[in-house]
Amino acid sequence: MAMTEDGPRTRRAVREAHGPYGRIQQAVNELDERVGIAKGGRALLDKIFPDHWSFMLGEVALYSFVVLVATGIFLTLYYVPSSATVVYHGVYKPLDGMRMSEAYASTVNLSFSVRAGLLMRQVHHWAADVFVGSIVVHMARIFFTGAFRKPRELNWTIGIILLILAIFNGFIGYSLPDDLISGTGIRIGYSILLSIPFVGSYLAFFLFGGRYPGHIILERFYIIHVLILPLIIIGLIGAHLGLLVRQKHTQFPGGRRTEHNVIGSPLFPQFAAKTTGFMLMVTGVLGVLGGYAQINPIWQFGPYEPPKISYAVQPDWYMGWLDGALRIMPSWQWTGWGHTIPWEVFLPAVIFPGLIFNICLAWPMIERRFTKDYALHNLLDRPRDRPKRTAAGAAMIGLLFTVFGASSTDVLANYFHLSLNQVLWFFRVAVIVVPIVVGLVTWKVCVEMQRVPGAVKRKRPMIVSRTSAGEYVAVPAAERPGDEHHELEPEPVPVRIELEPEPVGAGTTPTAEAGVRRVRR
Amino acid sequence: MIRRLIRSRFALPAALLLAVGLGSVLSLASGAKAATRQSTRTGSSTSPATTVPRTGRHVLATAGATHFVNTKPRVTPHATACTKDAEQIGYRSPKDSGSPQNSTPRYLKCSHGKVVQYGDKAITYRLPPSSYIAAGHELFEENCSSCHLPTAQGSAAAPSLVGVGPATVDFWVTTGRMPASTPLQVQAEQKPPRLTKKEAAEVAAWINSLTPSAPYIPDVHTKGANLTQGATLFALNCAACHTITGAGDALAYGTYAPTLHLATPTQIAEAIRTGPGNMPRFTGNLSDAQVRDIVAYVSEKIQHPSDPGGYGLGGVGPVTEGFVALLFGVGGLMLVSFWIGDRSS
Amino acid sequence: MSEPEETHVTGEVDVTGPGGSGPGDGHGPGDGSGPGDGSGPGDGHGPGVALLAARADDPHLQDATSHPRRVEAIVGLFFLVGIAGICAFGGAYVEGASTQVYAATLFVGLFCLGFGLTAWGKYLMPRGPFVEERHSLASSADEQQAMAAALVERTGIVVKRRKVLGGMLVTGLGLFGIVAAFPLIRSLGPKPRSSLFTTNWKKGSLLVDLNGKPVHRTDMQVGGLLTVFPKGKQTTTTAQAVDQTVLIRVQSTKLVTMKGRGDWAPDGYVAYSKVCTHLGCPVGLYEQELELLVCPCHQSMFDVRDGAFPVFGPAPRPLPQLPIYFDSTGFLRARSGFDQPIGPGFWERSTIGNGKASST
Repeated sequence: MAMTEDGPRTRRAVREAHGPYGRIQQAVNELDERVGIAKGGRALLDKIFPDHWSFMLGEVALYSFVVLVATGIFLTLYYVPSSATVVYHGVYKPLDGMRMSEAYASTVNLSFSVRAGLLMRQVHHWAADVFVGSIVVHMARIFFTGAFRKPRELNWTIGIILLILAIFNGFIGYSLPDDLISGTGIRIGYSILLSIPFVGSYLAFFLFGGRYPGHIILERFYIIHVLILPLIIIGLIGAHLGLLVRQKHTQFPGGRRTEHNVIGSPLFPQFAAKTTGFMLMVTGVLGVLGGYAQINPIWQFGPYEPPKISYAVQPDWYMGWLDGALRIMPSWQWTGWGHTIPWEVFLPAVIFPGLIFNICLAWPMIERRFTKDYALHNLLDRPRDRPKRTAAGAAMIGLLFTVFGASSTDVLANYFHLSLNQVLWFFRVAVIVVPIVVGLVTWKVCVEMQRVPGAVKRKRPMIVSRTSAGEYVAVPAAERPGDEHHELEPEPVPVRIELEPEPVGAGTTPTAEAGVRRVRR
Repeated sequence: MIRRLIRSRFALPAALLLAVGLGSVLSLASGAKAATRQSTRTGSSTSPATTVPRTGRHVLATAGATHFVNTKPRVTPHATACTKDAEQIGYRSPKDSGSPQNSTPRYLKCSHGKVVQYGDKAITYRLPPSSYIAAGHELFEENCSSCHLPTAQGSAAAPSLVGVGPATVDFWVTTGRMPASTPLQVQAEQKPPRLTKKEAAEVAAWINSLTPSAPYIPDVHTKGANLTQGATLFALNCAACHTITGAGDALAYGTYAPTLHLATPTQIAEAIRTGPGNMPRFTGNLSDAQVRDIVAYVSEKIQHPSDPGGYGLGGVGPVTEGFVALLFGVGGLMLVSFWIGDRSS
Repeated sequence: MSEPEETHVTGEVDVTGPGGSGPGDGHGPGDGSGPGDGSGPGDGHGPGVALLAARADDPHLQDATSHPRRVEAIVGLFFLVGIAGICAFGGAYVEGASTQVYAATLFVGLFCLGFGLTAWGKYLMPRGPFVEERHSLASSADEQQAMAAALVERTGIVVKRRKVLGGMLVTGLGLFGIVAAFPLIRSLGPKPRSSLFTTNWKKGSLLVDLNGKPVHRTDMQVGGLLTVFPKGKQTTTTAQAVDQTVLIRVQSTKLVTMKGRGDWAPDGYVAYSKVCTHLGCPVGLYEQELELLVCPCHQSMFDVRDGAFPVFGPAPRPLPQLPIYFDSTGFLRARSGFDQPIGPGFWERSTIGNGKASST
């Protein structure tokens, strides 16, 4: 402000004072003199993002999170985190006159009486489902391509922690409305805490402020959901992206891509345009889900009261694998010396997820122990080139999908007209068989794909002609570009040609060499 | 002058008094209004932080009593004519228990010493006319006697039907479960009924003629039903099997709770009162008014959910929601990124 | 795969241009290279005739599409539709409309704008490919060693010379950590003590339903089911959570009577805690022909005739049984409370009510 007042006014004057870029130059100068943005800023604008589609999965997660924050702020304006009992008198008639917690009443009100409130609530819920989903898909991409290897182990760890936090915050978030189904979920959560040996009852009493249902859990969940976990998540996302910028992207081998460069689009303007557009599209897709696919219709469920229950109660999908594990667990418990260890809960609900997440966290170390590979890697693996890792990942996915499927035994039994008991036994067997079979099959497929090098090689056509004597002659066709390219081995990287920048038209063949320049930094 | 009034030391006390007076009058008025409303819930509230007004709490505490008021029999004069029959069919005078066994009748209607109709404003239970009996017998011979035997005594393949009451017969036949296409199934399948509504009543009339028994075929008057009470009772008693959206679900050993979206009001009331198959039988502990409320809630809100949020996704909760999120959300956005990014490497 | 595409890519394009290697680099002719025509705000390009010529010749600085006019028209169309969608969303919001209208307009607006913008970035900007060099983040071995040396040696000096002071500081901070953590955690809630072992059922408690109505011996028929509470506690949420009990009437001849429970189930009325011994869900699902109570959460099945012992699923213990009797007026009352803690297992829970040893 101040600078413009005594500075030059007209465009021409500005141009004369600051050079050909006028006011922008002026702004850059002013900022640069104070905080020094020009050098780093220019480098940032040039940051290269690889163009492969699988690199956009993390963006889906990021933009779902943006939508989550935006819609979440809207929801906090209307939601009342209170377990106090009120009598509902609102527009939804079947609840009129019913006693319920203020939290539930305010959620019903914001769905029915606040303009676009229902849209915001549903978009928030869909965004949460998509958020966790895209994190998982993104994580699978990182895993199968080996992007977690040195130097990116730290970012892998941050990513896993983000996934855990996202799952926790999702669970706490859908518990907030205090409807019948989520209330049942909180009850289960309490019992899981209770099952931990030695300290379980203390943990449960401290978190809930007493014996179930306590009187403070919604208030505590609220502050955890809207403040504590989001702050940690935002911080970790910052670290995740910061490390990404510092270490630069990985990329698939091939072309001129090497361990020592990144090829793709610069941040500005190409990538900025594409990713901003993608953000808008993510928001649009979540918006259309939020308006056309009804999610968590809490007014149908009614308020939570301990003796009420609905069948077909499943948690949201990202908790489903834990629910499934609880269902297929046999009824094992240890008792003795006046104590009980409820393995039937503790094992599937505490040990199992702890084990899974710890394996994920430790995977870079585990793999290094086997491969003895301590080198830095910036080029990605193709999954088939690492059959053991790919098999391990596929087995893990098989395991998680099976326990996830086990969380809907009743729905499956109903849909396919089977006995619930048989379906459950099927899953008890499948949870052991499926990971083994999936792992072995994946390993075999990878190995076979490696062993058939010509499978994806383009064969050169043969030209068969008949001579005048009636003899057939087969002649290979003329070579075409790419004919002899061997897909399984990256193309040899040519020595980078460092040409002096030369005026075009100096006699060189333009298409071959014009513009062959390098990044200097 | 106004300023002087404000400054007067009586102003504050007077204003307070006025406010308290107004407030008490208003709260009394609202309390009176609340008293006329039928409330589901009873008792005091759970925590001191409650925002239930005092008057409201008082009304809630007495609401349970209205139940007893409802159950007081107001038997019509000619009821005495068929007391014996009433006892025979299992109808019990509510006096000795405070709640009747089969219903909360406000009147009995008798004809030739037989109870032909009983019930109250909420539900009327009717006996099919005796003229139906002959036709019913014929239908039974044709459709049912191969399993239930011509005497309806039952066999190894099918239970005895003697003394089950017309409502039971009507339920099984009008929902198409009987006659069964494949006997000895774990659970009889619901299908388009083979007999018409009238034919079902005829069969019921014949079976009832063997050993008269309640409950008769209910006729539910859902007008004036209390949806709130219906929703509460539904969540407490029905949702554990039929799910809170009425979609139904699989139960133990191949049995299942059917969807409620196809049931007529009469069938719902029949099922509640007779407990077909594995379903528990709700008798004395649910009054006719409460059954009516449940029927109204099911036929209005379960069968015709407003779904303001879009497609209901089958009403089975997070299972389908998860599929939609992963398939259309994550999957759709992956398609978009397919387009944006390069597919080759 | 698209190797052919790679083969005609002949070079890499400098995106750093002037200034990338620091100030004072100047704008050499031909050094900087700008984006293609009409891409608007691109990276800085130095003025100069040579550059324009280079742009015209270099395929990698052209728009990615070969039909820019056509794409421009399409992008423009999407932007127009997007603007219309946003306007419609605004109008709908001002007027107040259904959720579906909001969603449709919002989707059209945002998705079309996003699609257009992405298409602009994908087709109407220089394709490159652009290359960035990657330098090792690691410093030289000397620098690494210098850092480690500084850490070790400086710490060594401090600790060697002022051991006691350092120890005191660490002790103080550590104590603060413990002192601060303890009340923070401890004040979150009460200790469990014996509260997990108790319910409000006691000798003589009248069984009432949710509306406070007592249960008479004639109220229920065989196959009936009712959720009951001790009178006076039926509406308090905290009490409901532990006291809820299912009352079921079965054929009394079918009941398997366990030792010591001979008079617990008069007339076939049996009462079991409704809190599942697996995870505490209300066991409200009763199948009267199978005579099974099923937990709707994880499908544990309990045999109602036989002391509610689990017959299937993850629940390890039977549902605790409430002993009941008819008082002189025929109403159901509790003989005593439960003889064991209700609900899911926990460390302090003793072994009572675990096995089937006591059944006859």
